[in-house]
Amino acid sequence: MLLASADPMAFNWLPFVTTIVVFGIVFFVLAFSVWPKIDKGLDERSQKILHEIESAEAARVTAAAKQKEFEQKLAEGLEQSARMIREAKAEAVRLGDEIRARSEADLSERARRAAEEIDGARRLAVSELEAHAAALAVAIAGRILQRELKPADNQRIVEESLAGMSAKRG
Amino acid sequence: MSVHMVTNLLASEGDPISHLVDKNMGDTPLMLSMATMVVSAGVICWLLARAAKAIATGPASIGNRRYLPATKFGAVVEVMILYLRDQMLVPVMGERLTKKYLGFLLSLFFFILILNIVGLVPFVEVQELVAYLRGQNYDLQEHQTAAIFGGAATASISVTAGLACVTFVVVQVQGFRELGIKGWLEHLCGGHELVHGSIFLWLVIPIIFAVEFLGLFIKPAALAIRLFANMVAGHTLLLTLTMFGTMAVKAGLGMFAVTSITLVSGVGAILITFLEVFVALLQAFIFMFLSSVFISLMAHEEDASEEHGEAAHAH
Repeated sequence: MLLASADPMAFNWLPFVTTIVVFGIVFFVLAFSVWPKIDKGLDERSQKILHEIESAEAARVTAAAKQKEFEQKLAEGLEQSARMIREAKAEAVRLGDEIRARSEADLSERARRAAEEIDGARRLAVSELEAHAAALAVAIAGRILQRELKPADNQRIVEESLAGMSAKRG
Repeated sequence: MSVHMVTNLLASEGDPISHLVDKNMGDTPLMLSMATMVVSAGVICWLLARAAKAIATGPASIGNRRYLPATKFGAVVEVMILYLRDQMLVPVMGERLTKKYLGFLLSLFFFILILNIVGLVPFVEVQELVAYLRGQNYDLQEHQTAAIFGGAATASISVTAGLACVTFVVVQVQGFRELGIKGWLEHLCGGHELVHGSIFLWLVIPIIFAVEFLGLFIKPAALAIRLFANMVAGHTLLLTLTMFGTMAVKAGLGMFAVTSITLVSGVGAILITFLEVFVALLQAFIFMFLSSVFISLMAHEEDASEEHGEAAHAH
């Protein structure tokens, strides 16, 4: 029987062979059932990470392009809006001037019309006043002369008075 | 339960080496390290199968989380594998050889690691303590144990030699497959340039051949002895610390002194145990890493120089 020795350096064939056999079995079991699974899992994870990194990189490039495009459009928009504001201001100034000019012309016209109306009214009032005054004067004169004036005479006298007054004014 | 009994059980009454050496399981020719290896092999296969299940891509129903490890243990194993593969093996062996030998090297690493870790857990002592408390009286000799599992298998030169033998075979198979018989012989004689070089250089070929040929066996022997010596040294230190209590009892010291010495040495042993966990990890890594170096040395010289150049560049 193989007996253990008290010497730790003593060699024993039985554990030696057992080690080789047991390790061989462990190696084959692990090689067929463990390492392939782990290797596959790690490979799939690496591929996934690689794919995600590539996707992220592509998304970053796309985002950068979109951002550049957006910034360009934003700049164009700002420029366009500034131009529109400038144009709007110029249009506003032009419209203001036009409205002001039109208002001034309108006001002048109205003032002119008002002056004409006033003048016409004044002339009408004066002529009415003159006619009334002439009628009064004829009436007074008739009374003074104690004689009745016929309407036709009366009218003729008034017209003559008025013509005379107009000639004096004129 | 007296202090003497506990210290007697936790560490042998004799020298620590006698407690450490591999023992027969009762009256059988089977050694404790053999049972430990078989159980550890089952455990490592089970643990790594669970890790593989956790690392493998999950069902599509859980979305992007299917690409993440399902358990923390799976995440730890994944980190270890990725670190060993990407930071250690690829710079030394290159992508091609790493892909080819990754399974072997990782199997070697995890097998040695679990044997080292199991060796740190006092399974044998617990079994002997239980047997003692149950009053089972085994008529055992010094080279026998009542335990059916446990002990530091990698503290046996037979076990480490077996592992080194596996590495030796893999390295030589790699050499034959990569270089062919002629290339392998040229490699032993100093390489293609030396063999096909000046006739005066042929004078050194016998010396190189002798050195290289001896190196074929010295390299795996160094692997075996390094792992064995580190495990023996660590466990001897641990056992020596735990034996201080027994020595205090034997010296006839008082209860206070025995308790104090046992406590202090116990705390020291706990601290050393943490160091030993690191050593267990380190030695498993060194064994695997040097195996990868030996394998890469048997690659085509162009590949090897390129791979070593990459390694130098990486560092």
